Formats: sequence, structure tokens, C-alpha cells
Amino acid sequence: MTAKARNYLLISIAVFFFAALLVVVCSRKKAERPEPEILSKTAEDGASAEFIKVKLFYYSELSNFLQPVYREIQVPEIREELYKKFIDLLLAGSSGLIIPVPDGVQLRSVYYLQKMEMLVLDFNDNLINAFPGGTAAELEFIYFIVDNICYNFKEIKKVKILSGGNENKTLAGHIDLEKPFFPDFNWIKSE
Amino acid sequence: MDSLLDAGSIPAASTGIFLRFMKHNIKTSTIFISILFLFQILNALSIDFRSFDHEGFTRIVFAADQSFAFSVRNLPGQLQVRLPKRADFRAQSITVENSRLLERVTHEFKDDNSIFTVFFKGDVTVNKNFVLEKPFRVVFDLVKSEKISVLPQSSPEKTTNPQETPPAPQAAEPAASKSKPIETICIDAGHGGEDLGALGKSKLQEKNVTLQISQKLKKLIESKTGLRVIMTRDQDSEVSLNSRASIANNQQAQMFVSIHVNSSFRKSAYGSETYFVSLQATDPEALELARKENQNPEDPGETIKNDELKMILWNMAQTEYIRESSTLAEYIQSELNELLGTRNRGVKQAPFRVLMRTAMPAVLVETSFISNSAEEKKLQNEEFLDKIAFALFNGISKFIYYYNNIVK
Repeated sequence: MTAKARNYLLISIAVFFFAALLVVVCSRKKAERPEPEILSKTAEDGASAEFIKVKLFYYSELSNFLQPVYREIQVPEIREELYKKFIDLLLAGSSGLIIPVPDGVQLRSVYYLQKMEMLVLDFNDNLINAFPGGTAAELEFIYFIVDNICYNFKEIKKVKILSGGNENKTLAGHIDLEKPFFPDFNWIKSE
Repeated sequence: MDSLLDAGSIPAASTGIFLRFMKHNIKTSTIFISILFLFQILNALSIDFRSFDHEGFTRIVFAADQSFAFSVRNLPGQLQVRLPKRADFRAQSITVENSRLLERVTHEFKDDNSIFTVFFKGDVTVNKNFVLEKPFRVVFDLVKSEKISVLPQSSPEKTTNPQETPPAPQAAEPAASKSKPIETICIDAGHGGEDLGALGKSKLQEKNVTLQISQKLKKLIESKTGLRVIMTRDQDSEVSLNSRASIANNQQAQMFVSIHVNSSFRKSAYGSETYFVSLQATDPEALELARKENQNPEDPGETIKNDELKMILWNMAQTEYIRESSTLAEYIQSELNELLGTRNRGVKQAPFRVLMRTAMPAVLVETSFISNSAEEKKLQNEEFLDKIAFALFNGISKFIYYYNNIVK
């Protein structure tokens, strides 16, 4: 091996170590929550409108963490409508990824309690009636909803979940649903 | 063949090339070494040490922001924890102030090992050692040597804890007391009646599996220990979550084990996990208090002293038993992992409604996934259910030994 070749070899090793170092440092970072990107675009009616870029997170069979997907939402005049649009978009899903929500579940209404920094989501009765059971499934549903909302809308600090307009004790016999949930971003930590 | 190098000669050849290169390419070598040095600095392991005197034992904790391998040596009057790498520590020697059992902790780097030595005051024994995650912590519970009576047995056949069955309790009396050894255990078979629980692909029902495991566990505990076992249900009947906690409290149970089978939207999910309760607070400040209570129970600086405030915030009986519940969960999960040989999903926390109102150490065990076809098949096998009951029994036995030593 010539001196030049050895030089290249060792520089390559150094670059590899640098890359490994970057991977180690980056892997320690928890999910950061950037400000949502605001875009000015043309709406369906041809007029100029404001859109925000949101990051939706879904489960997959291949990972223990929620995987990101980017979407854009036209910003309506009423704030609560934006939240409703966001949840509807979330429930629509993304190809190849898992939505931890029973079939037939729809959002009935949304209430934003500004002083409490809390979003109240009222789903239809299917949430309870069609829930498959299991602690893991309950936690998957709860943090899918709560983390997605709190990640994208920083003004919301906690989320309360209703079904059919009522408070429920649990979804399927495990997690206490009477209190609101704070996000746990460990579910969306990048792997 | 001449062109083939034997395995032993490869490192020697590489080292020779490397040294020749270092000699002739000083500039590049300097950059390379600097990069390696920078890597070492950024990747350095920083160890924090904490200790706290609890009632009946002293807990010491080695914490770091990343996991690390370690080995432990028990020596007369001291405990050594060795890490096979360089680790940073705040001083070479620290005197532990106001500790019942600890004198000082020293740190040295020798033969590529970081060695932490904890010096004791008098005869001290490690009663328990376990690892916690997020952040990574190696925990030791220490007791005065005379506290140890009989070592816990890993096999239930060998467990010797004969106790007379206590008289039936009076319902009006208060629930579990921390001041007496464990005499009564409550087993909670999850779901029942119209509440089927989770369903498997082949229509296996969670409520039936949980009842089978619970009955097996009851038999094991009664026959091996003579302790009193109460069940929240012993047939296919529906019992509300509040009633389950109420049964345990009114019967003065001193341990509550809720048995479940898991289900996930991810069909590939499998393995066992054990939960104890997490506290859902109603505002950020209370959440911060809850987080401190849950994450660092061993840290005196973060212990909440205002009990009244806690009860106003959470109004939950289980608040008083978080630490014991955490220990019980660790013992059970460790046994499930060892005996079932399935994926260890670990000890976790969540706000379980059935656990919140129990005034005793309480855990909820998710033995395996009925939503996973392979595990559903196993759950239909009597031998597998026996193994689960056996693992639960082992974990419970170890907790009883630990708990009874504390309340002596």
C-alpha cells in the first residue's frame, strides 16, 4: 500500500468516526418542536390563503416509535376549526402506517379552553363501543392523539378525551380517562 | 497458502502499518488523534452518585445520561462498582454526610476500569440491586447485616415462608399497614362477565385467560406460603374497577396484583410488561411534583414533604405506595423475563384506574399479547399459563421477603 493510499484510508476512518460521533450526539436528542411553518399559497377557490405545515406521527409495524409524515392545512378563521381539521387529517391516516383508532371513530366536536391551555376532544360513541381492548392499545391511542396535537400546537398543554359527549372512566378497562393527558414525547423520539 | 494471513497476525500487521504511518505523516496523524480525542470527550460517561436513608434501608444510586456496563464486588465493609471504561466523577473521594450506613465514596481509574468504592459504617449488606431507565440508574438497597434472615429463593419449591392464615379481617378496619409483615394478597383477574377484555384472532378471550392464571397463582401462593389470598373475582363475573380496589382495601390486603393480557394496534407487538401507577396531575406545577416523585424517589432533594398537598392534588391512596409498587413491579417483571423467555418490555408507569384507589403496593401485569398470533397460541397452552403463574409467584415471593425485612 502506498503512502498516499494509506493517507486516504486513515482520512476515511477519521470521517467515519466523525459520522459515528454525529449519530451518537443526534440520537440523544429528544423530539424537538419547531414553530409550525406558515405558507402563503393559493386556495381551492383561487384566492390567496394561509397554510401551515404540520408534522403528523403514525405507528408502523417496524418501529416502536411514531413515524413523521408532513401535511399542509389551510388556516381557517376560527382556531378550533383548525384543530378539528388537524384531527380529521390525522384520522385519515397515511399509506402503510398504522392509525391506532378503531374503525368508524370520528371527531364530533372540539373545545379549546384557553385559560387551562387544554383541548377537549369529543369523539363519537364508536371510540368506546369499538375499542379492541388492551393496555398497549389504549396507550397507543391516547398518546397518538395527545402527542400529535401538543407537538404541532404549542398553545395546547393537555388534552381531554370524551366519547359521545360524555366523560368515560376508561377506554377499555385500564387507563383513567377522567383526567386530561399531558404529552409524552418519548413516543415520538427519533430512533 | 502464502497469501492467507492467520487471524493472529492481522492485528500485528495493522499495528505495524499504523505506527509507520504515524511516524511519516505527523500532520494527518495529529488530526486523526484530535478527532478521536474529541469523540472521547463528547462521548464521555459522567456518573452521578446519590444516597438516601429510607425507613429500614439506605438506597444508593449511580446515575448517568446513558446506559453503561458494570460489575459489582461485595467486600468486607465496602461495595465496589466497576465500569470497563473511563467515567467522570465529581471528585476522587466524597464524604457522605448524615448517612446511617455510608461513610464515603471514592473513584479511581485503573487498568482501563473506573472503580467506584462505597465505604460502609459497620456491617452492611446489599439487600437488593436493580437497574432503572430514563435516566439510566444502578440502584442498591443496603441494610444492616443483622436485618437479613433467610435469603429469598428463586424457585418456589424452595420458598420457605410458612405463616399461619390470619383471622378474617373486619371490613371496617383501615387498609394495609406498612408496619406489619405481609399476610394477605389480593389477586385481580382482569375483566370478566360482559367485559370480555381483548380478543385474539382465534376468539380467545382475555377474561378467561386472566381468570385461569389468577387461580393458578392463588393455589401456588396458598400452598407454598400459607398466606391468605383473596380474589376480586373467582368466576366469570363482572366487577367494576372501583369495586376491585374496594375489595382489596376492605379485606386489608397488603399487595394487589392485577393480571391482564395485552393487545396492540401493532400486530407484531409481543412480550410482557409490568405497570405501576403514574400520577396524573391537573396542572403543570403538580405534574412537575408528580414527575419528581415518580422519577427520582431515591433523591432526598426531590422528595415531596407536604403529604397534605399531595392528597389534595391527586386524592389517591396509591400515592403513598409508589415506591413499594415500583419495587414489586421490578421483581415480577424480572421473573417474567427469566421464566417466559419472551421479549422484556420492561417496567412502566401509567394512570391505571384500578390501581389508583388501592392503599397498598399495587401492580398490573400484562403477561403477553393476545393480539399477536404466536402469543395467542401460547396462551391456549396450559403449560405456558403455569409458567406465567410460577413467574408471578417468584416475583411476589421476592417482594414479600424484601418488604418484610423493611417492616421488621
